[in-house]
Amino acid sequence: MALKTSSPRKGGIGRASGAEGIDSIPLRYGDDPYVWACWLYYEDGMTQGEIAAAMGVSRATVNSYLADAREKGIVNISIEPARLASLTIAQELKRHFGLADCLVVPNDDDTRPLIGRLGAAGAQALSKIVKSGDTLAVAWGRTILSVGEHLETGPLQDVTVVQATGGTTASFAYTPELTTAAVARAISARCVNITAPAIVASAQTHRMLLEEPLIHEQFDTLSRANRIVFGISSLRPNSTIHTSGFFESVPLQHYLAKGAAGVLAGRFIDERGRPVAGPLDDRTIGISLEMLRGIGTRVAVAGGFDKVPALLAALRGGYVSVLVTDAATGAGILRADGVTSLDGRLSQRQKGPAAANTYRTQVKKFLNNPNDVVEEMLDGLIAAHSAYLKPVGTAQRALVARNGPRAGKVGLVIGGGTGHEPCFVGYVGKGLADAVAIGNIFSSPPPDPIVKCAVAASGGAGVLFVYGNYAGDVMNFEMAAEVAEEQGIPIRTILTTDDIASSPVEDKEGRRGVAGNFFVFKVAGAACDRGMTLDQCEAVTRKANDRTYTVGVALESCSMPQTRRHNFEIGPDDMEIGMGIHGEPGVSRERIRTADEIVDTIMDNIFKEMKAEAGDRVAVLVNSFGATPLMELYILYRRVEQRLSAKNIAIEANWVGHYCTSLDMAGASISILHLDSQLAELLHHPCQSAILTINTPGTDGSAPG
Amino acid sequence: MSENAARALARMFGRMSEMIEARKDTLSELDGAIGDGDHGITMSIGFKAVIAALGGLDLDKASPADVMSTAAAGFLDAVGASTGPLYATGFRRAAQALAGRDSLDLAACTDMLVAISDGIRDRGKAQRGDKTMLDVWLPAAEAAATALADGRSRQDFWKAITVAADNGAAATATMVATKGRAARLRERSLGHPDPGAASAAALVKAIAEAL
Repeated sequence: MALKTSSPRKGGIGRASGAEGIDSIPLRYGDDPYVWACWLYYEDGMTQGEIAAAMGVSRATVNSYLADAREKGIVNISIEPARLASLTIAQELKRHFGLADCLVVPNDDDTRPLIGRLGAAGAQALSKIVKSGDTLAVAWGRTILSVGEHLETGPLQDVTVVQATGGTTASFAYTPELTTAAVARAISARCVNITAPAIVASAQTHRMLLEEPLIHEQFDTLSRANRIVFGISSLRPNSTIHTSGFFESVPLQHYLAKGAAGVLAGRFIDERGRPVAGPLDDRTIGISLEMLRGIGTRVAVAGGFDKVPALLAALRGGYVSVLVTDAATGAGILRADGVTSLDGRLSQRQKGPAAANTYRTQVKKFLNNPNDVVEEMLDGLIAAHSAYLKPVGTAQRALVARNGPRAGKVGLVIGGGTGHEPCFVGYVGKGLADAVAIGNIFSSPPPDPIVKCAVAASGGAGVLFVYGNYAGDVMNFEMAAEVAEEQGIPIRTILTTDDIASSPVEDKEGRRGVAGNFFVFKVAGAACDRGMTLDQCEAVTRKANDRTYTVGVALESCSMPQTRRHNFEIGPDDMEIGMGIHGEPGVSRERIRTADEIVDTIMDNIFKEMKAEAGDRVAVLVNSFGATPLMELYILYRRVEQRLSAKNIAIEANWVGHYCTSLDMAGASISILHLDSQLAELLHHPCQSAILTINTPGTDGSAPG
Repeated sequence: MSENAARALARMFGRMSEMIEARKDTLSELDGAIGDGDHGITMSIGFKAVIAALGGLDLDKASPADVMSTAAAGFLDAVGASTGPLYATGFRRAAQALAGRDSLDLAACTDMLVAISDGIRDRGKAQRGDKTMLDVWLPAAEAAATALADGRSRQDFWKAITVAADNGAAATATMVATKGRAARLRERSLGHPDPGAASAAALVKAIAEAL
């Protein structure tokens, strides 16, 4: 609201002449008693009684003015969207699972790790829940330790905090003992530990220990608990359940095989929350699931996508009465349990009225029969490029270079789905790939054409398989490699993984292969053509892949010939950084920025990984995803060049154009190959193919496509 | 006359193909939500190719293992992608498991289901809970083994298997994909059943009906 010039309390306040008679509304309120009442209430913070006196009306009238003003839309109460989303999710979780309460932390604040934010939220919940005289049971875990670290309560008396399970080795920070102690310290409570191991060697030891008077007494305290706070662990391969060593791996497999979906306080439950029986059950010292469910207030604090099935299981099983989680996990739980109404409400509230659909229902394409696109493309391609390639026998899905394979040379076989043209077919020729196996759109070729390629490419010195790292391609090429090896052709495989946005650096092997394929193929083809051995070819190709860095940005989705509809949607003002060449989601979707700012984001990411120093040499590829024209690619290249030259990094060679596309997607990728002398030499090695021809070795390698 | 085991298996593949045809569009829609929307088409192409390949086999002379390995080769050559190697490996393992057998008693059926499930697991290097077809095949194979050990009737045996398969497929909606293309969606895959699991449940149903 606008600044006011003077307080209405001091300004011209009229006197009442009758019950509803307002003799003089200050001019600035435009003769509208609703606005006046609202201003006094919301802006000046007056009580309804004070407003009644000021306006000269009854308190009841003021009350109805305020209510009507909201109805009429004179007053809109808005809550920050992220907070509103959290609140909506919390309400829905509470309703759907019949919880006593639910606290959901927003996900927009990514400055702090999730565990810390959950810990703070869990602490906030506990500080409201725990009362003097309570007995609070505490289960172990990273999140619960974080709760303890954040916990602050008012002065409480006679609170007992009791460990919910036995102890573990102190090889990690969040042991049951430490977690319980942290919570007890924060509340200044009496701390009761269970002085027995959480898991003992046998059922017999278990029985004996529980008969010990001391432990018996500790369990008595535990059985008196009227509150409990616990985390929930998933059984996913990277969960703390595996890494903490709390459980032995062999029994874990047993529980997994019996359908365990999650772990609470050391006990296993299935996806419906039913206990899963197993070999650890009568060797585990700690609270039982039955005891847990009997406790009055059961606060679960957990978040993260991998925990969704485990959390859902715990909620379905009725183990939770108060849930503390984050917005994305909360929404995931609801969606996983079939609550779909939430999505509509969230987007409606966050985005307001739905933006007009900017997408055509059908995209125009040059087609005969949509089911024949791959065959018809290959007919045309083979005719157009017959100087460089030909089918292996009659098989169009396996093409071999005319002057490629020769005796004593390592063969290079590449391949993958179609829709990326000129990748992969354009890179077949002398000095490049010897053969290419071709699949359906965005879909790996089967092993048969790959084997045909291997046989056609083999010159007796072995064959390299080089292709992008995708589950389907890996399986088909692996099967083909098995068959080729049986036929006496040694096969080495290099998966391209240049898309640095597709996975963090710790998971480098899990990354996708995208436009950087171009550099890896070029280096591999040159190595093979130079007569290097299979080992040498493999090593240098691996090096090229390790030193190639790509980041893509998508502006608009691609559309498949069969559907002629956009595969997914990118909002009218948005772009997606890191999107893959089949439309795989990238690292972030954000509002589109200037070309220079986009290149800067990409280059910053590349510089973070590429350890290039002043004086180093690189090769640059600015690649269109299909629909983005050369004009825009040159604008991108301009900034790439500026960024590199500012670091005094020399561009040894560059390519700007369509090198690895995604049908008609709008967008582009930038690939940088960090050269050394061997890679530079191989990059300049001559080659002749439909898309890339390099004639003179040793000179400037720039070769427009 | 009683039909020989090879004919029974060929009839089983026929039923599988029909089952996929009937669900082709539904499967593609499921895939559209978390994948590239072609799963129904891919499966349809694959099983049509299986039927075509089996057409070239003399079923009076063929063994059950022959039927399985022919189906594996037919499926693989037609499909590629990721379903191709997975089912081809599963069927090939089933061929090995059925080698030397000429009747499809419940023990043979159990071995076949376990072999398909093991083949898919080994090829895809996935595990339970990864939101894949394995979340159907593993429980189905386990249910078969349990039902066999408990000495269930043929009817109860197949009932237990289809129930396990259907539950497995339904459970994939609560999982986050970690394998295949849907893995790129992470939490966005939640709430959507996995299309590969859905088609697997349909295949198990077809097997149960045919055998």
